[in-house]
Order: sequence, then C-alpha cells, then structure tokens
Amino acid sequence: MNIDRRKATLFGAAAAVRLLLFTGFPGLPDLLTARVEISTPVTSFKRLQEGLYLYNHNVSPYDGGVYHQAPLLLPLFALLPSSATYPAFTYLLYIIVDLLSANALMQIADSGEAGSSKLYTSPRKDKKWSSFAIAAAFLFNPFTIATCIGRPTSVFTTCAILHAISKAVAGNSFTSMFALSFAAYLSMYPILLFPPLALLCFDRKRPMKGQESVYNFVFGNAMAVAGSMYSLLHMSSLITGSWEFLLSTYGVQLLLPDLTPNVGLWWYFFIEMFDSFRNFFLGVFWIHLSSYVAGLTIRLRRQPLFVIVTLLGIFAIFKPYPSISDTSLFLAVLPLYRHVLPLMRYTFLASSTILYATLLGPAFYYLWIYAGSGNANFFYAITLVWSLGLSVLVADALFAVLRDEWEVERPEMKGKEIRQI
Amino acid sequence: MRQLQSLLFILGFFFSGQTTASDYHEQLLLRPLHPSLLLASFNFQSNTTWASFEQQNFRYFPRSLGQILQHANTRELHLRFSLGRWDAESWGARPWGGAREGGTGVELWAWVEAETDEEADGRWLTLTNALSGLFCASLNFIDSTRTTRPVMSFQPSGGHNDSTLENLHLLHGTLPREVVCTENLTPFLKLLPCKGKAGISSLLDGHKLFDASWQSMSIDVRPICAEGETECQLQITQTIDMVLDLQRSKRPRDNPIPRPVANEELKCDTSKPYNSHDTCFPLDTAAQEEGWSLSQIFGHSLKGSCPLATDGADPVCINVPHARHVFTSAGAHEHKDPNGYLRCFELSPDGEFDLTLPDQDITEKAPLEQPLLYAERSFIGYGQESGGVQAILTNPSPTESVDFVYMESLPWFMKLYLHTLKAKINGKDKPVIQEMYYRPALDRKRGTQLEVRILIPANSTVVLTYDFEKAILRYTEYPPDANRGFDIAPAVITIGNVSIRTTSLLLPLPTPDFSMPYNVIILTSTVMALSFGFVFNLLVRRFVAVDEADQWDLRAVRLKIAAAGKRILGRFGSGKGKVENIKKVQ
Repeated sequence: MNIDRRKATLFGAAAAVRLLLFTGFPGLPDLLTARVEISTPVTSFKRLQEGLYLYNHNVSPYDGGVYHQAPLLLPLFALLPSSATYPAFTYLLYIIVDLLSANALMQIADSGEAGSSKLYTSPRKDKKWSSFAIAAAFLFNPFTIATCIGRPTSVFTTCAILHAISKAVAGNSFTSMFALSFAAYLSMYPILLFPPLALLCFDRKRPMKGQESVYNFVFGNAMAVAGSMYSLLHMSSLITGSWEFLLSTYGVQLLLPDLTPNVGLWWYFFIEMFDSFRNFFLGVFWIHLSSYVAGLTIRLRRQPLFVIVTLLGIFAIFKPYPSISDTSLFLAVLPLYRHVLPLMRYTFLASSTILYATLLGPAFYYLWIYAGSGNANFFYAITLVWSLGLSVLVADALFAVLRDEWEVERPEMKGKEIRQI
Repeated sequence: MRQLQSLLFILGFFFSGQTTASDYHEQLLLRPLHPSLLLASFNFQSNTTWASFEQQNFRYFPRSLGQILQHANTRELHLRFSLGRWDAESWGARPWGGAREGGTGVELWAWVEAETDEEADGRWLTLTNALSGLFCASLNFIDSTRTTRPVMSFQPSGGHNDSTLENLHLLHGTLPREVVCTENLTPFLKLLPCKGKAGISSLLDGHKLFDASWQSMSIDVRPICAEGETECQLQITQTIDMVLDLQRSKRPRDNPIPRPVANEELKCDTSKPYNSHDTCFPLDTAAQEEGWSLSQIFGHSLKGSCPLATDGADPVCINVPHARHVFTSAGAHEHKDPNGYLRCFELSPDGEFDLTLPDQDITEKAPLEQPLLYAERSFIGYGQESGGVQAILTNPSPTESVDFVYMESLPWFMKLYLHTLKAKINGKDKPVIQEMYYRPALDRKRGTQLEVRILIPANSTVVLTYDFEKAILRYTEYPPDANRGFDIAPAVITIGNVSIRTTSLLLPLPTPDFSMPYNVIILTSTVMALSFGFVFNLLVRRFVAVDEADQWDLRAVRLKIAAAGKRILGRFGSGKGKVENIKKVQ
C-alpha cells in the first residue's frame, strides 16, 4: 500500500512536471520538435503531422519524401483530435506513454533479473536501487523529459521495448514477442534484440513438464515474431492500400536518403562519402551494427538482460537515425545494474564527456546553422565526442559485468588489479 | 485598355487576312513607361499549313525547329528565356497581358502526343535535348526532378482535334538558374525569315538586349484549326520584349562610364533658399519628356522593312499621345490611330529608318494598363534549417473578383509541409482556397508540385504562407558555388489564358565542409573501430590477475625471440634430415 502510494506520487509528479512544461511554456513543444537532437526524419512529430494531413486528404503519405514513419501511427493519431486545435490530447497521450514505460521499467527492476538470472547470481546482487528510484531516474532524466515534450514517435518504440523486456522477465514469452515485433514494426532496429530476448524468455519461463530444448523454444518464438510482424505489416498495407510504405519506412532506414543532421555518425559520413562507395559503406555500417548481437549473446549467455542493455547502448550510438530518446532508454535500463557500477573504471570520463557534448552540441549547431560563424565540422565533431563518450560508457559497463562474472570463479581476486590476455 | 484594343485591332486585321497561304508578319511596338524607361515589344509571326508541315515543306516556318517538333511528336510548344523583374507597380500590366511571359531563366512547356506516360517522358527527353542543342541553353538539364505535369494550370492555346487531345501530355520544366545571354539570341534570330538582316529584327543586338532592365524572349508554336475547316494551320510566334533604361541606352558605347552632369546643365529649383552656385535641389522632371531616337537606344537605325512581311501591317508602332512630336526619316508614312495613343509607320523597303522623339514639356501621357493581379513572393524565417514562403496576391480591381491557379514547382530538397499552408484574406482566416492539387516530392526523383485555385474578391489581398525544411545534400550534389544558394523557380499564376510569374527566389542550404571527405571517413571510422575494439576486446579475451600474466619487459621479449628462433631452426633441421633419409632409401 505504501509502495503504491509512493508510486502514485512519483507518477503524479512526473506527469505534473510534463504538463507544467507543456502548458507553462506554449512555445516549448514546437521548439523541441524542431531540434535535430530529438526529432529525426524517421520520428519527427512535425513530419507525422504532415503525414497525417496527407492521409486525411487521401494523398498517400508514402508517395513523398517527408513521412517515413509506420502506417499504423496514422489512424491512431487520426482518432485523436487535431493537435493544432486541441493539443492537450496529444500531450496526455505522450505523458501516458512515458508513465507506461516507467511502469514496465519498475516491473523489470522488481523481478531482480539483473542481479540473479537463472544461470548466474552476482555476489553483489543485494546492492541495488529500488524500482522506485530507477523509475524516478528514468522519469526525471532531462533527456526523457525533453523527448516527451518534443513528441517524437520514438517514445512508442521505447515503450514497446520496455514492455517486451518486462513481459520476458515475467515469463510471458508470447506477449513479449508481440511487444518486440511492435517495436520492430515501428522502427525496425529492435528486431536485433530478438536473440537475447528469446533467451531471456527461455530462462524466465515457468518450469513445465517435459523440458523443451532451447532451439525449439527460440524457433517457436521466431515464428511468433514473424507471424505478428506479418499481421502488422498486412494491416498497414490494408490501411494505406499498397505495399509502397515498406520502401518509404524501412527502405529509408536501410538506404539513408535523408541526411538531416542528428547526434549519430551516419549523416555526415554519407554526406561526404564518394558516390561509388556509398552502397558498400551502407552495408559495412549495418553489418557493424548487427555484429554485436551474436558476440554479446554468446559471451553473456548467463545474463541475457545485460545483453539487451548493452545492445540498447550500442543502438543509441550506431543506428542510422539516433536521437537522445535512444540514449534516454539506455540510461533508463543501465541503473538496473547498480551492483556492478563500482567496478567501472571510467565513469568520470564517460559522464563528463556526455555532459560536455550535451552542452556544446546545441551551441555548435547554432553556430553552424543560424549564426553562420561555424561550419558543419563543429557539429560533426561534437557528435564524434558524444558517440565516443557513450561507447566508453557501454564498454565500461560491459567490463564491469564481465569482471563480476569472473570474480565468481576467482573470489580471491576481489579488488585486485587484473589484466586481459 | 484602349491601346490594347488598338493592338488587338491590328492583330485582328492581320488574322483576317491569313487563311490558307503561308505568310509572315512582324511588328515592333514601342511604349514609353513612366520613369524614363521604354518598353520595346518585337513580334514575329508566321503560319504554315499542317499539310506542308507534314511534308516537310517549310517556307517561313524554321526547318530546324519543325523537324525537332516532328521527331518528338510535339503538338504545341512554348519556350521562354527571361531575365529581370517586371515592376508591375510602376510599369502597369505586362506586355501581351502576360501571355508571352516566362519565369527568370528558361521555361519550357509542351503538349506531347504519346500513348503512355513513359512514352511521353521519353519524347520530352528527346525534345529537351534537341532544343538544348538548337538554342545553346542547358535545357538538357530539365530532368525528372525539374519536370512537372500541371493539372489545373496551363490550357492548350491552340486548336487540337478531340482525338489527339486525349493523347496529349502536358509537361513543364524550368531552369531558374540559367543565365540568358547572346548565345541564346543568335539561334533565336536564325529562326526568323529575315534573320536579323532587315526589318525590325535588324535592331536586335545582344549588347542592348541583355543590358535591359527586364527582357523576355518567347517562342510559341501552336496549331490553329478554324471552325468548320478541315485544314489546320501551324503558327509560330516569336516575341522579344525588353524594358530599356533610356539614359543607360543613350550612353555612347565608346564612353560608357556614367559621369556627373556638368554644373551648368543641372536644372535646379531656384525657389529653394539654399540654392546657390554650389548647392542644387533638382527640379521635378516628370513633366519633361526625355528625347531619344531609335539609333541612339539600339545603337543603329532600322535597315528597311523585311521584304517577306507582305501582310500589309505597319512594322513600327509607338504608343504616345498625339501631342508628342515624333520625327521619322524620309520615306516613312505615319498612320495615326484616331481614338487612341497609337501611331504606326509604314516603311520603305530599302533605305534606313530612324525615329526621333525630341525633348518636350508635355503633361499628357499614354495611360498604363492596370494588371489583373499583383503578385509578390518571398522567403520568411531565418537560419539554414527551415523557413517559409509568403506569397502576397492583390486584386487591384474595385469591382471584379479574380479566379486563378497558383502553381509552385519546388525542388525536392525544399521539403514542403502542406499542413502549414495557410491563406489569409485581408488579414482574416477565411476559406479562399477552392481547389488544390498536391504531388509531394520524392528525394532525388521528382520535385514538389502544388497547384491551388484561389478566388480573390474585388479590392482584396490574399497572403499565402507555408513552411518548409531545407534538406542537406550529399557533397557531390552541390554546385561549385554552394554557398550562393539554389534558385527556386517562380510561381506561375494562371488567370484564364494568361500566366504571370513571380520572381525567382534564392534558397541557401546548409553546406558541409567540402574539403573533408577523407577526414570524415577517417575520424568516423576511428570512432567505430574504437568502440568495436572496446567491446570485442572484452568479449574474446580472458581476465587474469596482474601477477599471473606474462611480464612484457625487455628480458622476457629477448627470451621469447630466442625461443622462437630455436624452434624454427629446429624444425628446419629436422626437415633436412627427412630429405636425406628419402635419398638413402632410393
């Protein structure tokens, strides 16, 4: 009862902060929507409005270069009263989505999967933050709040991913797979989370009579994902009347025709790339992004949840159109591993680099685009620093977890200096 | 309005004369615009029967153009080369009511006969490439991103059979960046029967034409099928309109630098208290008509009439009040239009013709015709990320409302947000948009096409605004002077049969650093390699305590090298032994 009251207070406070920002500063939502750090060509709220306008006027939004988001968002937002006349409904929708994400995050934290999975129990597992604190860290993270106010559609992906994880730790594999396919349907890249998520489901499923082999289980889940993906896509094709949305949504993520600046590494690279090598490097970048999945899943077989956390961090750096929304998701799930944080070596370096990039990024973008006293290299350099800071953080967390595992084998090595051979 | 009527009367006279035979007509109309400017409109028109066109029997119709039209199955063609801005506020309505006008740069639209859209695209490509060669213009750069298929704007001006009308495809392309210059004038003159050697075309000179404040060259080819007649005609109309600055044109070519007026030639207002030998307030010279002559402003006089123009129309007309003195060289006959401000001159076939208007104090002026619509378009917003376009459309008529189609064809990198399109009438939100056609842009494939039908009531102003986002391009897609910006084609406003243009716009896009390709590839790859290295280094290597690991000091290295060397030597030695063994067995 006490916890419920605390939770209600927390959620109420988070909603109140967002409502205050929405209503107290009427110019803020549009200002943040226009920021390249928040809105990317595949998530921007302004582009969603344009797609919605075309959809409502019987022009196919996919026969154009502006709207690259999933078709099912169109009827969803068409049901809501227009955000230009009644913005309150849109605000409430985004606040509710944030609270749902926080709720799923609390369920993950409550399960204790981070500290002790089926195959592995950390010696430090008792040193953890309460689910309340983790949800508060997510809800009051400035990145999360800015994302909510800027209203990109990536919050739906975030919510779907967190629900997929929370259902997986609850052993509810089918629901989890459906949530994953919904996330993949919205923004494609979450499909790479399938291997660790299937293993997580396998580890957490309730023991039944007649032990099912892991291969059969994964195969069954793959079928479930394929089936729900197919039904979502088929529904979309019925809504839009053709399959041309595939090229305009997933094709854009794969081929990167829109080079609007963002916090990632792809845009400037492909602006400056020689035409004859463009397709080759698109392939290299996608292979690089997916190469982490297999290695991490095999090496960290005993902690599939941490594989997901690391992959979310890597996606926030290396996906084609990243935004701070992806970073906020990574920073939301990282505190689940509170117990290994003391083992990290470069926390100060990583956090100060991220802070530095956060503050200088908007300034350099202003210098380039508005003041004209800087050029594109200013913003490009800051995205390099940002990516480097995040990758130091991801790698350091990975180091901490691996060391934690190693100390179970070699308990006498606790606190000693180590090397890798 | 009255001088337009008289012009129509002349044209009507000419039209009634032609029915069957191929004939040729040319006329120059001079119209002084109020502030010391002169509008010169050259018109050249010839007709040929459809049958002789089909048989390639060209007389006045230019063969080079005719064969291109036949090859590309083009039934109607309109080509425009324009420069400068028509100042409708002080110059009044446009020449020809705007029917012969084009946007800044080059504009081309044509009705192509084809069964399918793909076939029409192919023929359009043939047409643009052939015209590009003929007119020395970059028309071959009109690709799919610069081509639109207008739906509501542009109606065929010629008479087409109903059977061919079904298969006609209208294609429209613009090149707002094209600089129109003498290399376009020379092929233009070559199409004329007198080729600039005689008649009014002998006045055309690149130095004067492209020195004008505003100029437009047009070529229109259209079929004319009279009611009840089976025989159709093909008509080619070439016009050149230019607004010349009299003072600038009168400057001698050997001494073109403007110099201050000498003290004694200044006309000062002596009633001013500060007037003295070194201070002067210039007198208002509006009542003073400036003197000029044809040979002064065109550099030389007219070289007789073109002997092929046999339709009887007077080749030179001037639009001034009858009270204005006009002197001509000997051999020319003056015909005054009794109820207007127009007088025309009949020329002798040989002998030079010059027209002189002396300085004269005269208050009466030929009235300027009011345009149907004032249109202005500009960018709003700042920064290189996004912006907006604002079009101000004013209906000056106190009684009549205007119904027109506003068409924008924008490049794909200007990403239009249609949901932000707003039309305000006299500052109030009222529905004035009656109909809309929108075709969104596809990246690198086609541009945006927006056509809006608007009805403006009498004496009202409509302000049309919309937002757009500026895309950032691949570095190879920028022109060499990337920071100059990109030219955006003028909006076309179609009112009935005439279409007027706004000015073109200059759109600055965000630019990358063009010197950076290698640096970016190297730096980005370094970050990716670092991250890949961080992660996979942790994944594939084992942890050991510091003291358990091999020590990598100098002695350890030396020992390791020695051990490795010994091992290799040992292997080599044993190999040798084996060979010896084999030999022994043999």
